[in-house]
Amino acid sequence: MQCAESLRLQAAFDGELDAVSAAAVERHAERCPECRALREHLEHTRARLRRDVDYTQASPQLRARIAQLLDAEESAERGAARRRPAWRARSFWLGTVAGAGAALAASLGALLLVPLLRTSMPDELLAAHMRSLGPGQLTQVISTDRHTVKPWFAGRADVSPVVADFSAEGYRLLGGRTDPLDHQRSAVLVYEHGAHTINVFAFMPGRAPLPGEVSRRGFHIACWRGGDLGYCAVSDAGWEELTALRTLLEDLAARDSR
Amino acid sequence: MDDKRSRFEALILPHLDAAHRLARWLSRSPGDADDIVQEAFMRAYRAFDTLRGPDGRSWLLAIVRNCHLSALAERRRRAHEPLTEEHEALPPRADAEAPADPESASIERDERRLLAHLIAALPEEQREVLLLREMEDMSYREIAAVAQVPIGTVMSRLARARAALKALWPQVEGEPHAMR
Repeated sequence: MQCAESLRLQAAFDGELDAVSAAAVERHAERCPECRALREHLEHTRARLRRDVDYTQASPQLRARIAQLLDAEESAERGAARRRPAWRARSFWLGTVAGAGAALAASLGALLLVPLLRTSMPDELLAAHMRSLGPGQLTQVISTDRHTVKPWFAGRADVSPVVADFSAEGYRLLGGRTDPLDHQRSAVLVYEHGAHTINVFAFMPGRAPLPGEVSRRGFHIACWRGGDLGYCAVSDAGWEELTALRTLLEDLAARDSR
Repeated sequence: MDDKRSRFEALILPHLDAAHRLARWLSRSPGDADDIVQEAFMRAYRAFDTLRGPDGRSWLLAIVRNCHLSALAERRRRAHEPLTEEHEALPPRADAEAPADPESASIERDERRLLAHLIAALPEEQREVLLLREMEDMSYREIAAVAQVPIGTVMSRLARARAALKALWPQVEGEPHAMR
């Protein structure tokens, strides 16, 4: 049995309540032996943990390795900046425009979609993404050539998505595979962007709204509709990087349909 | 050009120790913790432009957590089985002060070791919120950002973690803290 006030008592103990609520909890605890015992336990636990749990520091070796790693990252970025000035400038504008759209979509999504979304699609996408990161799992057809990848999907996947390599823009097509998703055989395009792997799942969308943009465990999932198909990009890359790839694919779809 | 590096060093690098502790608590292995932290710093530097707002600590710790999960998934997939047993509990504190009295020192060491085992035995999701709250002194909001769950979930996990330790205290100390 637990007093209904126990979570509030805990919040007061953790300094999360304003003065008025904290005083109310205090008055309650005066009458409630269970809450007084709980508070004693919380105090005792905190004292024990702070006394007896190691409060370690990173070793000097680790600190040195991090510094080296940052040096390497910094010089790699400088090299990349020299090689691809045009893309950088363009990506900024793409990012800005698409970012504004994404922000709007995200705020709408938060209002409209999230309460409806009790589907497991983000979980399913994330699980498929994680699976794909294992050795040998990423691609079933390896090619940067859209003319190889696109026909490969025929008969293997239930849909035929737009396919292109965007190496010039920083998104290298590694190949494709098919993954079960939402009871279908989705077509998956695999891109490499810097150190990030981006899986783009294409499938027939149902009547339910797509997840829009969600984060799970630090991974980002961006979904959109393109023509008849639903697309979801999954990666640990940042939102702007996902949005830029989405824009490239949408532009491509628009050109293809003309 | 070096602006990113210096901003990173000002906002993120000060949290290296906290990142390392979280990695240790999650992985329960000092060796793995170093690898996790390196991976996390690489990802953090590459994604640094996506950091919004001033809370570099929660942001970095969320990446650490994420790297821990990736490493775990990778290891499980390779071994085709969970490796939890193989991982040692947090080791006893190595840098403890020299004992004044050997007997009390050994009792204290046993207590520390036992506590470390109790914490290591908590479910990961509870261990993480408990240690972030008690050891890193983070607010519910900050912990929610690290664990990527709502604040209410932080509160209930914290309560469960603390209650789990309560059930175990008497074994540790022969109930000196029974109701007075």
